[in-house]
Amino acid sequence: MITIKGLHKSFGNLEVLKGIDATVEKGEVVCLIGASGSGKSTLLRCVNGLETYEQGAIDVHGRRVRAEDASIRDIRTRVTMVFQRFNLFPHRTALQNITEGPIFVKGEPRAEAEAHGMALLARMNLADKADAYPEQLSGGQQQRVAIARALAMRPEAILFDEPTSALDPELVGEVLAAMRALAEEGMTMLVVTHEMGFAREVADRVLFMSGGRIVEQGPAAELLSNPQHERTRDFLSRILSPM
Amino acid sequence: MNKFLQDAQDYLPILLQGAVTTAGIAFCALVIATLFGLVLALMRYSGIGVLSWTARSFVNIVRGIPILVQLFYIYFVLPDFGIDLTAFQAGAIGLGIAYSCYMAENFRAGLEAVDKGQVEAAQSIGMSWVLTMRRVVLPQAFRTVLPPYGNTMIMLLKDTSQASVITVAEITFQGKMLAASTFENMTVYTLVAGLYLAFSVPLFLLASYLERRFGKK
Ligand SMILES: Nc1ncnc2c1ncn2[C@@H]1O[C@H](COP(=O)(O)OP(=O)(O)O)[C@@H](O)[C@H]1O
Ligand SMILES: [Mg+2]
Repeated sequence: MITIKGLHKSFGNLEVLKGIDATVEKGEVVCLIGASGSGKSTLLRCVNGLETYEQGAIDVHGRRVRAEDASIRDIRTRVTMVFQRFNLFPHRTALQNITEGPIFVKGEPRAEAEAHGMALLARMNLADKADAYPEQLSGGQQQRVAIARALAMRPEAILFDEPTSALDPELVGEVLAAMRALAEEGMTMLVVTHEMGFAREVADRVLFMSGGRIVEQGPAAELLSNPQHERTRDFLSRILSPM
Repeated sequence: MNKFLQDAQDYLPILLQGAVTTAGIAFCALVIATLFGLVLALMRYSGIGVLSWTARSFVNIVRGIPILVQLFYIYFVLPDFGIDLTAFQAGAIGLGIAYSCYMAENFRAGLEAVDKGQVEAAQSIGMSWVLTMRRVVLPQAFRTVLPPYGNTMIMLLKDTSQASVITVAEITFQGKMLAASTFENMTVYTLVAGLYLAFSVPLFLLASYLERRFGKK
């Protein structure tokens, strides 16, 4: 469903993505792991058309993703994104955050969008927070609202960029649980994460990135327990037993 | 003191007529400055080279010319090009354009203070640029822009006095005429100053309220 071929991306003289090939199939959960600075966010942002790229191709359902094309807006309603820092709209309530896209982008009738929004909040165990503003919510609650906002577009896939990295440790679990539930319902997901437990249990495949390249990929259990590449081993040993 | 009150009673009606004109010209100029300033700020914020460059050049040119000269230009030079404006129109348009540049700088600072993550979140659910501005960026910029907006409004109000040079019959103009015919400079200009304060003190209070209510926490 998402196909990335020979993707190159530079910021000025700094080449950040050095030829990425990857696919995400419908219904698949793919986790993208790797050290900080290896280019994971940049890759995700290219897929969402938030960054331009110089070389290669990204296709969603055979439609070319290009940040500068008008078609990008339609593609974004099909592949939405959840950010590390939530990026909820602070001047709107939880429910308004969720209905903003359906009402103003897709033109859904307000009543329908609100009913769907309330259902999504209930799914995120936040039914009682519909009228709360983001600043009144904990980080974990905000991120679950953000997931509901991404879901409200009825997307075919969701990109997650380190969705739990900005959270206090005790709030990580509730967000991962929500994501796991999504995965079980068959949502296509591409997830940048440092949560190896989540990757092992939920991901179908894991991609390991280092220095702008995908160094190794494979089924989650296999790659995480029996990494082939030295850099993968290094990374995993550092992240699993820090210090 | 008695004489002052006596004279004041005679002069006040004329000066109040001027005050109405001052309020009118300030209001019209404020509307022009706000709308046009917003357009200039959005042009710069758009990140589109031509638009941004055009807006920046315009702001720098206008800010580099004294308002007085701009008013002369609009009132005395434009008629040579077939654009005939009344003194009031020329004053409102001149002040409006001059202040649109100050407003544009205020607005731009407010737009840029909005977290870039907000724009990305809006885009990630498929919002167009216009929709992103309208629903996400402008409502947030609004809060940060209010306090400086209030201050610029006060400056604009006081600068309406410059329109007296192109014969707009606002407070200062009326005061000058009165003073010239009565020689009661002290009485007349004390009243003139008092009238300006009567306008600007409420605006100061409003601005400081906005500062407290919406300013940086
Ligand atoms: N907007 C940008 N301008 C310049 N360099 C950037 C920008 N965004 C990211 N980079 C650089 O690109 C590299 C990869 O960043 P990123 O994709 O955020 O890595 P990761 O998400 O894996 O930590 C880093 O060296 C980072 O400094
Ligand atoms: Mg990152």
